[in-house]
Amino acid sequence: MPFFRPREYYRPRDLCEATWLLSSYGRKAKVIAGGTDLLVAKPSEVECLVDISNLNLGYIRKEEDGINIGAAATLDLIESSPILSSEPYRVVSEAVSMMSTPTVRNMATIGGNICNASPAADLPLALMVLDSTVKVVGLSGSKILSIGDFFKDVNQTILDEDELLVEVHIPYSSKNSGAAFMKLRHHQTSVDLAIVNAATKLTCSDNFCEDARIALGAVAKTPTYAKKAERLLIGKSIDMELIQRAATAASEESKPIDDVRASAGYRRRMVEVLVKRALEASARRCGTWQK
Amino acid sequence: MAKVNVSIGVNGKRYELAVEPYETLLEVLRNRLGLTGTKMGCGKGECGACTVNVNGKAILSCLTLAAQVDGKEILTIEGLQRGAELHPLQEAFVQRSAVQCGYCTPGMIMAAKALLDREHNPSEEVVRKALSSNLCRCTGYDKPVKAVLDAARTMRGQHEK
Repeated sequence: MPFFRPREYYRPRDLCEATWLLSSYGRKAKVIAGGTDLLVAKPSEVECLVDISNLNLGYIRKEEDGINIGAAATLDLIESSPILSSEPYRVVSEAVSMMSTPTVRNMATIGGNICNASPAADLPLALMVLDSTVKVVGLSGSKILSIGDFFKDVNQTILDEDELLVEVHIPYSSKNSGAAFMKLRHHQTSVDLAIVNAATKLTCSDNFCEDARIALGAVAKTPTYAKKAERLLIGKSIDMELIQRAATAASEESKPIDDVRASAGYRRRMVEVLVKRALEASARRCGTWQK
Repeated sequence: MAKVNVSIGVNGKRYELAVEPYETLLEVLRNRLGLTGTKMGCGKGECGACTVNVNGKAILSCLTLAAQVDGKEILTIEGLQRGAELHPLQEAFVQRSAVQCGYCTPGMIMAAKALLDREHNPSEEVVRKALSSNLCRCTGYDKPVKAVLDAARTMRGQHEK
């Protein structure tokens, strides 16, 4: 049986060195941040570990155009950050508070969670409804892309061998926005991954819906937007009946599979329940919405 | 195979070690330093038996490479006792019979230690949340929770003196 036996361990001092290391070792290199996914998976093909803890990527900052979170910011930092405590950005800390255990959250990082690209990941959903972007740095420079375009397949991202995720950017939303995150687990306090998870964001003037975002997890190979359901809501007056119709639409456009945690049919039903609850909470959190 | 030179503080003592890139902190503590108080449980970050404090934070030593903690200060269960005197947390676990087989106890106490270092007067709910990273298969959680609350009270008393 092959073992996890990397031969080299580097802690680069800048991004240039980091991307150079990643490109020279190619697929045999692996970035290590919190280690809470890597040291569980322990992939035997890894020959070189690139520790990014010296790159000063552990920040959460308020900038003119939004909130920037460094890839190595730990989940406990995000959970307790005052910058992420106001509506609708608190959907990020809300999602984080339901991830794994407090001790794991002391170690795990936002970049690691995104790059692990689990179909059931929680944090990407919250970031997706806030229309976040990610900054990727490679040998030839940096690029910025929408987080929804970052995932390619189960545990696979669009990152090239020399590339590193360095920052998440959350643009400021309109003041009248509200967002919510919901997660269904076998036991609501357990460490387990989501059977289904969902995040939603609504921007409402009184009851008129200016914008809607719905992101679903554990129902496809990657986190996805429920675009049909979003279109149902935008430009309409939001009431409980419309929320129910959007939830049904989200359930219909989801494509879950049967696995050890739940059947596809159960997942589809639960998408409806979670999206309905998340939309109602989002509408309430917009501030001006009347049921 | 390139070894990694690390300098780590463990329970106030400095160690200069050459570790393998894949060696976990747990392996270094147990196999190289002989500090077997920290336990290997699931090895996957689910049980919390390997919890130690790194720079005051509770972390899992089975999911941390020794190379990652270069330059950091580690506190394990062995570092709590002062001479013959037990730490208030250890004393409270004994008094409350919060220990049965004892396998989860070092991890629970280290999770509680990190909590009490930052919150001197935690509510029961906060204690339960802090211990939610640690699984116990014998006594359950009531006694450990009460023990942590007792220890917090004792430590506040010591502080005021």
